[in-house]
Amino acid sequence: MKLKQMLTMALAFLIALSFSGLSFANNLTDIVKRGELRVAVQSGNPPYAFIDKNGDHTGSMIEFTKGMADAMGVKLKILDFDWDGLIPALLSGKADILAADMTPTLKRSLKITFTDPWIYVQPCIFTRTDKAYQTLEDVNKSDVTVGVLLGSTGENIARTYLPNAKIKAYKGGGRMIVQALVAGHVDAGVNDDLAVLTVLSDFPPNSVRLLDKRLGQGKDPLAFAVRHEAVNLWQWINLYFQTIRSSGEYDRNIAYWMEGIDWKKDH
Amino acid sequence: MDGNMLADFNFRIIMEYLPLFLHGLGATFLISTASIFLALVVGVIACACRISQIKYLKYPAIAYIELIRSTPLLVQIYFFYFGLPTLGVRIPEIQTGILALMLNSGAYIAEIIRAGISSVDEGHIEAGISSGLNYVQRMRFIILPQALGATIPPLLGQAIVLVKDSALLSLISVAELTRCGQVLTSERFMPTEAFLTVAFFYMCIYFVLKSLADWSQKKLIFREVY
Repeated sequence: MKLKQMLTMALAFLIALSFSGLSFANNLTDIVKRGELRVAVQSGNPPYAFIDKNGDHTGSMIEFTKGMADAMGVKLKILDFDWDGLIPALLSGKADILAADMTPTLKRSLKITFTDPWIYVQPCIFTRTDKAYQTLEDVNKSDVTVGVLLGSTGENIARTYLPNAKIKAYKGGGRMIVQALVAGHVDAGVNDDLAVLTVLSDFPPNSVRLLDKRLGQGKDPLAFAVRHEAVNLWQWINLYFQTIRSSGEYDRNIAYWMEGIDWKKDH
Repeated sequence: MDGNMLADFNFRIIMEYLPLFLHGLGATFLISTASIFLALVVGVIACACRISQIKYLKYPAIAYIELIRSTPLLVQIYFFYFGLPTLGVRIPEIQTGILALMLNSGAYIAEIIRAGISSVDEGHIEAGISSGLNYVQRMRFIILPQALGATIPPLLGQAIVLVKDSALLSLISVAELTRCGQVLTSERFMPTEAFLTVAFFYMCIYFVLKSLADWSQKKLIFREVY
């Protein structure tokens, strides 16, 4: 009886395993043939990608991918994932493009191919206004808890530059860190400055402040990503950005989404 | 990436992350055990209040049970974690998790026990009354032995649900089993390896629970009930 149960379990496990290696084809031609560009985003993440009050996906990266889909003459399909689900979504063929505020790293590039960076941001530490932290050293103490996003560049940077602090990793976008900070579960947070500033405007004014000290090597690039074999798509996206840079569309996007929070009136 | 799935399956990564997984397994096990035990206590008390004739006990119990059963566990976890601090109550992650799982399962367990008690044949109770047994004696010798027999299978089901529900605690940064899978996924981008391993460990916990329930059913309960 026991043995039979064990064998059944083992069988169930093997069946699950056999579904794990699905094969698929992908390239630019497939997208055009399918008539649909599938983009994986993390949608709790203004101004990059988020769901506005009308329930629509919007944000800087959504506008860029919309432009890509228009240029290809296909429909745009947005797929929502958590941060740590983004790369698996791309690898498993659910999405053609990964459009998140993701920094190209050597480790990530072992699995996926990044396009040229389309913007540079700065990782920063932020804390509640009532905390007295001024410098990196104030935060880098064993009694300080720092909130980060699981698997993000912010997490790596926090572990590198704040080795003594206790790190708590959250899922579900930059808002989670600020929420945990305001609720008092963490004393400080690390994320990129643009994401932090955008999220902060949703919280009571002057409840959270940025520390002057910027982290890391200063500038942190963000890029789109595709699967390794999708070389033509990768080249196409780079060309797309060259094109919209010369047409001025790129500057309009950045001016609208990144250089202020006036877009909050529209969305 | 195509073809043979077993060849693509990276066992080396699993071995490398095994200490993390075992740590997560321990955390899931401890959180679940504590929650199940506390939920049983909460459930028994809530059930006792629910079937009591005193309205100051009965209506709060009904309110608690219905409130919990009508809202998702995730909402309850988020409320305890992010909502309570604004009311001045701040509880650390693991305790928040145990509290949420305990209150959540407690409501279901209360209803399971109530169903078990009401499943006892009316005639048996009447027979008890005519034999001169008082309320406590009727509970002890007639109702509970039969009710327990009927409740053990659904209680086991609830315990298994609780173990699996503990995966939601990964969302408030508790380092339990599912979170370990998320860590491996976010560090090495190998969701297949990560979550099959996680699934395997959940299966192990399920096995332990199931054996425990089988054993308790044989040892503790009248066989005649079945």
